[in-house]
Amino acid sequence: MKQIIKIVSSPKIFVYTIIWLMVLVVLGTLAQRDIGLYASQQKYFSANITWLGGIIPVPGGRITMIIMLVNLTFMVLFKQNLWKIKKIGVLIMHIGALLLLIGGGLTAIFSSEGNMVIEEGAQSNRVDDYHDMELTIINTSNESLDKYTVFDQPILGKGNILSHENLNFNIEIISYLRNCEPLKRTAPAGIHYKGMLKNFMLRSLRPEKENSRNRPGITYRITNSGSSSDGIYGLFLGQSVPQTAVINNQNYEFIIRRKRTYLPFAIELLDFKKVMHTGTGIAKSYSSEVNLIENGIPRRVLIEMNEPLRHKGYTFFQSSFIEGPEGEATVLAAVKNYGRSFPYISSIIMSIGLLLHLLKNIPKLLQKNPRVAE
Amino acid sequence: MMKLYLRLFFSIFLLLPSLYGRDFEVRNFPIQDEGRIKPLDTYARNQLLAFYGKRSLKHENLSAIDWIFDLILNPEKGGEKKVFNIRNPEVTASLRLEWTNEHKYSFNEVILGLKEQLELVSEFYNKPDESRTIFEKQFLEIYFNALRFKEITYSLSCLAPFIEVNDSLLAEKLNTSPGKAVSYAHLVKQFHTLTEMFLTVMNKPEEELSQSDKELNMILLTLQHTSSDDYAQALKLIPPSPLDETGTWLSPWELMDGRPRAPYQDKILNALEKYLSGRALGDENIMNSALTDYEAGISAITIGKPDINILKKETWVNKANLFYISVAFYLSAFIFLGLSWMFHQSKYLQRISAGFLGLGLLYHTYGICLRMFIMGRPPVSTLYESVIFVGFVTVVCAVIIEYFRRDGLGLFVGALSGAIFHYIGFGYAADGDTLGMLVAVLNSNFWLATHVTTITLGYGVTVVAGFIGHLYLIQMIRNPKNNTLLKSINKNMFGITLIALFFTLFGTILGGIWADQSWGRFWGWDPKENGALLIVMWHVMMIHMRITGKVKPEGFALGLIMNIIIVMMAWFGVNLLNVGLHSYGFTSGIARNLFLFTALELITGFGTYYWAQSRKGRLVV
Repeated sequence: MKQIIKIVSSPKIFVYTIIWLMVLVVLGTLAQRDIGLYASQQKYFSANITWLGGIIPVPGGRITMIIMLVNLTFMVLFKQNLWKIKKIGVLIMHIGALLLLIGGGLTAIFSSEGNMVIEEGAQSNRVDDYHDMELTIINTSNESLDKYTVFDQPILGKGNILSHENLNFNIEIISYLRNCEPLKRTAPAGIHYKGMLKNFMLRSLRPEKENSRNRPGITYRITNSGSSSDGIYGLFLGQSVPQTAVINNQNYEFIIRRKRTYLPFAIELLDFKKVMHTGTGIAKSYSSEVNLIENGIPRRVLIEMNEPLRHKGYTFFQSSFIEGPEGEATVLAAVKNYGRSFPYISSIIMSIGLLLHLLKNIPKLLQKNPRVAE
Repeated sequence: MMKLYLRLFFSIFLLLPSLYGRDFEVRNFPIQDEGRIKPLDTYARNQLLAFYGKRSLKHENLSAIDWIFDLILNPEKGGEKKVFNIRNPEVTASLRLEWTNEHKYSFNEVILGLKEQLELVSEFYNKPDESRTIFEKQFLEIYFNALRFKEITYSLSCLAPFIEVNDSLLAEKLNTSPGKAVSYAHLVKQFHTLTEMFLTVMNKPEEELSQSDKELNMILLTLQHTSSDDYAQALKLIPPSPLDETGTWLSPWELMDGRPRAPYQDKILNALEKYLSGRALGDENIMNSALTDYEAGISAITIGKPDINILKKETWVNKANLFYISVAFYLSAFIFLGLSWMFHQSKYLQRISAGFLGLGLLYHTYGICLRMFIMGRPPVSTLYESVIFVGFVTVVCAVIIEYFRRDGLGLFVGALSGAIFHYIGFGYAADGDTLGMLVAVLNSNFWLATHVTTITLGYGVTVVAGFIGHLYLIQMIRNPKNNTLLKSINKNMFGITLIALFFTLFGTILGGIWADQSWGRFWGWDPKENGALLIVMWHVMMIHMRITGKVKPEGFALGLIMNIIIVMMAWFGVNLLNVGLHSYGFTSGIARNLFLFTALELITGFGTYYWAQSRKGRLVV
């Protein structure tokens, strides 16, 4: 047992993992030039396995950091000579690093980010996710009550079969395209193709560097409906006419859209302000004056660059704006992050540890040239 | 001895500010440009820098401010001056210019070629910036420079004495004397006195026109011709009226449209007109009295009055070239240190060298402080400022090391790195020395002050650590037997690495906190963040390898040298990638220098490492 602990907590493991992490960071940074930030982050840093050149599997950023975390935990817990007053600085530093890694893990798993677009005078409680999509199926048969069934991004993978008690049919995902465009068919489509796909086809495009500029699309097959509606359908993000189908006397609408989260409160935009450096096109600041409405009671808040609104675990940042003929709209970035306080705490701890260590050792390390001293 | 130095330093430091308490000069005219009020001197220098590549016309001994006024008062001659710096043979060929060794061309030459190729210009212009080739970018740059040059040329043509009135009758009516030249603005103001005469002239047949009538016609034609210059609104010299809430300054031409003027606007316009006429005649008295009027006009501004003392200070900074003086001192320090080595470690020469290093640092510090004072923001916010600040940090570190060691090691590091960073800074001056304004996200003084300053401190200390790594290897080659000396440098190396780790780590985390505050994520794997992370990880790795005994001191030294390369990549290299939220420093032509530097460091680093090892090996055998 001791042997195992000694191996697992060995600083050699740390040296190798940090070298490997450096390699990943360099590769991931260079890759951003070609594939953009989001995709490179997915490939190198958030992945357990990174496929180099698409062929060679190597440990990805996530697994590397997990190894580092395990190594560090064992080191802090079991290394005997670390728990000494002489090494207090070093110990504190390592505990801080441990917290930083744990916080990073929490953020990676639990955080979500999206944005809210609110026009001046309007209010909203809806956050659209930046990256994840959802397939929404609305049963519109009952005029006074729409029934929504929503499938989130992770289960929209190729080959998955989706079913739900709300639906009297199954959906088989044929393909999920990260970026695509609708193209008008030149030849008549096969009889399996229904709806939009009768006249259009979805052509897969190379993903854009900036993920928000991608237009995801999906093709799926409706099966087991026991009607003539069985067939292949397609959807893409921002489709102007929704896909509809009548299946067993029920009317359905199919939409693919950014994953929505509804907040337990609403935000109303009172005024959006943009200040420029005088006589230039360089923005000096943006700000949104909003009402935070909870239980019908409004509270006035000013959201500025570097001055976000924090409420119920969500943080709202001034991210962008839209100027249209009918007025201005603000774009707020909404972030939910459970690991948020970890970096703050761990950085303070690490800095204290390092400072302690430095103060103790600096006099020894900055010495007079012995020859001059003589 | 030390006390004498200190006293000398402080007296020089105190003397410096008294140098700029002089009279109000034409250089100090406030002008609004790129979002702030600056002295006309800074504006003229920046313009000349953009056209010509330098801040004055050295071969003609012409300062930027004189160049701009010569251009305004004599557009024909100014258009002949070779101030356009074009260094791309493709561009000169397409403009049908002759490829010369000076690479300098006049406006008149350039505009001929441009006029033929307006279609090309609009084609390049409609392309997105990232898909333009270097040729296309430079071609567009020349085009916009030429437009701006023309705009500046005619931006004061309403106030310059360009119209001569010879006829005595007309002169009397126009409130001037015969043979004297007056400005467009003056004539427009006096013109109501001629309305009657003008109406009769209109109805007279050609042959009955008198001399006065003919001249009146000429004047009218000239006025009409001049009024077509009203697009030229480059020089925003006139403060806004008190009713204007935007705070946007105006060019003289904008006030020629008959709008009501505030009293101070009138005063400044009149003083400017007077100054131009005095300058055209070469009459010092008129010019001086105009300057007094101008200052009075500025003092009469009711809202948003610029501080004349700050303007004066800035022109003084422009003229004083503090960083050039500083670099001269650093080089002197280096020379004297070299001499001290030649003369058996002479203590006196070493002290002189230390004195020069101190003086250099003094000017360096003073320059940074003045910039902070003028802009009212922390020391580092542009790439240029970061270079100057890192240079400052390395010299301060070196001075501390020297204070502890007293053997010239600190002097060596300080003089060399101080001079090198100043030279890099001069290269970046065109991008960042112009004291420009910041984009919104950077406009937060607290985070600029903490994160950016800490991380640049970290860069500086890391570079110093690398320099000491170099020194260690050199020392091993020179004298591998001197174990005591090697051991003490080794300890210094480790200590400085720990300090470097502290600043880079803390700076990186502060950056994360800033990012969390303003963009909502602590870490986004953005290139700039990754660069800083790499430096930190490299430090951490070297420290762990040293503790576990994986590297010997010489290997550690080599590791520190390699970290300089990483610093340079993180600092300048990431801007080449052009992705992420951090790419605020525009750099062109940096790739080659970065490559050369990396190659040089790799060769010298590994070269000295293996050499040092072979020396050591021989010693053991």
